[in-house]
Amino acid sequence: MTVTTLLGEGFLMLDGGMGTMLQANGLKMGGIPELLNFTHPQQIADIHRAYIDAGANVVYTNTFGANRLKMAKTGHSVQEIITAAIANARAAAQERALVALDIGPIGQLLEPTGTLKFEEAYDIFREQVEAGKDADLYIFETMTDLSEVRAGVLAAKEYGDGKPIFVTMSFEENGRTFTGCEISAMALTLEGLGVDAVGVNCSLGPEELVPIVQELCRWTTLPVIVKPNAGLPDPITGVHRFAPERFGECMKPYVQMGVRIFGGCCGTTPDHIRAAAQCLQNLTPVQLEVSIPAAVCSANTTVILDMPRIIGERINPTGKKRFKQALVEHDVDYILGQAIAQVQAGADILDVNVGLPDIDEVEMMRTCVKAIQSITSTPLQLDTTKPDALEAGLRVYNGKPIVNSVNGEEESLNTVLPLVKKYGAAVVGLTLDKDGIPKTAEGRFAIAKRILDRALELGIRREDVYIDCLTLTASAEQEGVMETLKALTRVKQELGLQTVLGVSNISFGLPNRELVNKTFLTMALHAGLTLPILNPNTESMTAAVRTYRLLANHDRNAVEYIAHYGGETPAAPKAAAQSMTLPEAIAAGLKTEAAALTSALLAEQSPMDVVNGQLIPALDKAGAAFEAGTIFLPQLISSASAAQSAFEVIKTAIAQAGTDSVSRGTIVIATVKGDIHDIGKNIVKVLLENYGYTVIDLGKDVLCEAVVQAAVQEHAPLVGLSALMTTTLPSMEETIRQLREALPEVRIMVGGAVLTADYAEKIGADFYAKDAKEAVDIAKQVFDV
Amino acid sequence: MISLSAIDRAQAFRYAGMPTVPDGHLSTLADTCEKRLLSAISPRYCERVYPLSRTPEGILCTGTSLLLTGRDIAAHLAGCSCALLFCATLSQGADFAIRAAQAEDVTAGLLTDAMASAAVEQVCDMAEAEMLAKLPEFHATWRYSAGYGDLPLQIQGDFLAAVDAPRRVGVCVSESGLLVPRKSVTAIIGLSKEPVERHKKGCTSCNAAETCPYRAKGAHCK
Repeated sequence: MTVTTLLGEGFLMLDGGMGTMLQANGLKMGGIPELLNFTHPQQIADIHRAYIDAGANVVYTNTFGANRLKMAKTGHSVQEIITAAIANARAAAQERALVALDIGPIGQLLEPTGTLKFEEAYDIFREQVEAGKDADLYIFETMTDLSEVRAGVLAAKEYGDGKPIFVTMSFEENGRTFTGCEISAMALTLEGLGVDAVGVNCSLGPEELVPIVQELCRWTTLPVIVKPNAGLPDPITGVHRFAPERFGECMKPYVQMGVRIFGGCCGTTPDHIRAAAQCLQNLTPVQLEVSIPAAVCSANTTVILDMPRIIGERINPTGKKRFKQALVEHDVDYILGQAIAQVQAGADILDVNVGLPDIDEVEMMRTCVKAIQSITSTPLQLDTTKPDALEAGLRVYNGKPIVNSVNGEEESLNTVLPLVKKYGAAVVGLTLDKDGIPKTAEGRFAIAKRILDRALELGIRREDVYIDCLTLTASAEQEGVMETLKALTRVKQELGLQTVLGVSNISFGLPNRELVNKTFLTMALHAGLTLPILNPNTESMTAAVRTYRLLANHDRNAVEYIAHYGGETPAAPKAAAQSMTLPEAIAAGLKTEAAALTSALLAEQSPMDVVNGQLIPALDKAGAAFEAGTIFLPQLISSASAAQSAFEVIKTAIAQAGTDSVSRGTIVIATVKGDIHDIGKNIVKVLLENYGYTVIDLGKDVLCEAVVQAAVQEHAPLVGLSALMTTTLPSMEETIRQLREALPEVRIMVGGAVLTADYAEKIGADFYAKDAKEAVDIAKQVFDV
Repeated sequence: MISLSAIDRAQAFRYAGMPTVPDGHLSTLADTCEKRLLSAISPRYCERVYPLSRTPEGILCTGTSLLLTGRDIAAHLAGCSCALLFCATLSQGADFAIRAAQAEDVTAGLLTDAMASAAVEQVCDMAEAEMLAKLPEFHATWRYSAGYGDLPLQIQGDFLAAVDAPRRVGVCVSESGLLVPRKSVTAIIGLSKEPVERHKKGCTSCNAAETCPYRAKGAHCK
């Protein structure tokens, strides 16, 4: 009996609540239910049997929490527990039902909110999947974090011997999971990864789940699972309140939506399953035609390509010295700044290109995808020519991204498209091949067609293939401009595909580039362009797209247009007032003004003169006022932040001039292992950088060994450690111990809410910094500058 | 579900290290931070009432593995037959908003973090009022959390299990004992059929008592 054959016959009935039945049998009182597989195998098999007798075709093993973290204290291995659980289920099922290995959430939150790494989550699931090879299928249930589900599904795909994979997530009444995951994002991502059925379980009762399942059915062609609770629980006692008959009746509307797999969750019993099975008895499955639009997503945001959407192009080192410097220095914060600025300017999708010959692009892609997704839910386009970097990005990307790009060459088609298929991405196809870019529209159209055919052969959906007909430079190949647009229109109309175009290249070598870019963009939009790649920070370009959406009747009732341009004209950043000086702008915490004044000063003074003559004295003054209690932390930080924007101008000037910047010394800082509170550490970083120190920021939740390694590698004379909680102080102490062992000469400063000078001394630190200002004083003392 | 329409600005600035609410550009920045934070969070809470059993090892929430140890919680629950346990959270949206603000501007990060701390306290106040309204037969103490006095943070795992917090509100405890999402609170309110002293949260039961900048100046935070 297989899932396919079962489904072919009609509906599939899953079991009901396991915890509910354990409790009803007096078996679950504060203990670990998975251990009952050893202690009460007969009772567990009896519960399974009761569900099968009631009509279940599939039973879930009693292994919801059988992962290595939750089982650590039981004295049993994951393998032992899962083997016993499958044996119990099999004993009951015989040939009457299938046995599904039940896998629940790990119980710890993944990065970036929690501390569990995606890769660790994958490994935890891999162990469960391998231990459960005797099951007939894998089911991930009660999931709320799409990233965690992805880790599990990848493990099941890679280690599950091709067995079917079912996934159900738990949504709240607002149509999102606890982590904010959207229904559409779940469906797009999981269908892309190739699971066999998707659905919902737990959280709500069968009546409240109706709109959620309706939405899900619109977004997937896979069989849909509904496994609700027996109504909503009583808030105080936690008891679910639907009688079996009422529960069974509730299944009917789902059949009309096309749902084919049913079951019960908390509060449901064999009687509920029997009632549900009886209700379905005289019904036949409804097969609905579902047409899923072209769309990309992160876990929390789905972008439908039903109108032109802006792909921001700024995360790319090409032609940008400051960006290259950031990549070399592993300055991820700079890249995050670029991401946020583009999103606020109106980007719908962000292109991510972090390739540079001298860096480890695989590691950089992985780091940047995670970091950017931690601060924005805007979907990403992974832009690299290296397949290993592409796969690293695809693996950790939470949602459905775009791959930029494949082209008509055999090697490219053979390496890129399988990755696109495996990870369920969309892909940009460039209309070029080994012979270069065809001059004519016909030539480019032919390559587009070839790319599409190959994608379809691999099972990639037509909606997920986007074609870039390639912008040529008007100054060099003027006659080619219209060929690009002709090809674009044909791809759109004849192949029905989404189109992509990097716009800015058109004006290379011409004066007034913005004018040329904007005009070309408007022409291309009219020719059928849906995904312009451009710099959204250039207001006229973003405005052209917004205006096009209005005129082409996408922006109904001009809602978006009026929201942006209807109110008062946004005040242009105040031109640095003649009367204001840079130190005054810093004292007032005015970032824009500080940057503008710095630019003006750089016309007359050298960067170092501006730093030493204006910035540092201004910061000293703010620091002294803070110590004296005349200004407070938000004001000090605000000044530091304004100084930071001035430094950014200086860094860009130095990068452009190609001269080396002068550092006062290198300091490694980190929030210790186990601690995720990093605001204080980040404030210290900004202040130290303001004073000209090179700060290697290792982030939060940093392993002791990583701190030691960085201190050794960077020859850092000073290390700063922060911890906010009493529970993480031991890991601060351990980090200090390891640092002392590896680097007897290193000086260590510590800070954080629960630390005191006495405690700092006790755990072997050289300095206790009670605030960020004091951290700077300590650095001055250590480096003597 | 609890909804929050405004954040206690004075409290937020106090958490950020500022005794007064400023005007000018910090105030404008605070407006932006507040707006973004409020649209990012989904405040929620879950609760359970348990009868208490007093054992030589501590006070057990009957039917769970949660053992409340130490003198301070014993004093807090003196005279109480039951305890209302609850877990409130702003959800992962708060963590996201704080990270996004930090990436943009460190001052915005500081203010957003402080506002989220103030917001979760407000959510606790509202949750407490809602829950106690459903328990009119009981007198209640103030709310007491792990980490206050000698009640160890290590109970968080058992506490969350007792109120089924991972499943009901999405709050977990990390390996190092931190609640995640970060802006989450667990608390214990003693319940008694007889009048009990409500007490108030004071500096002596606060974790930050030793290092508190307000106390150093002879003042307090709230």
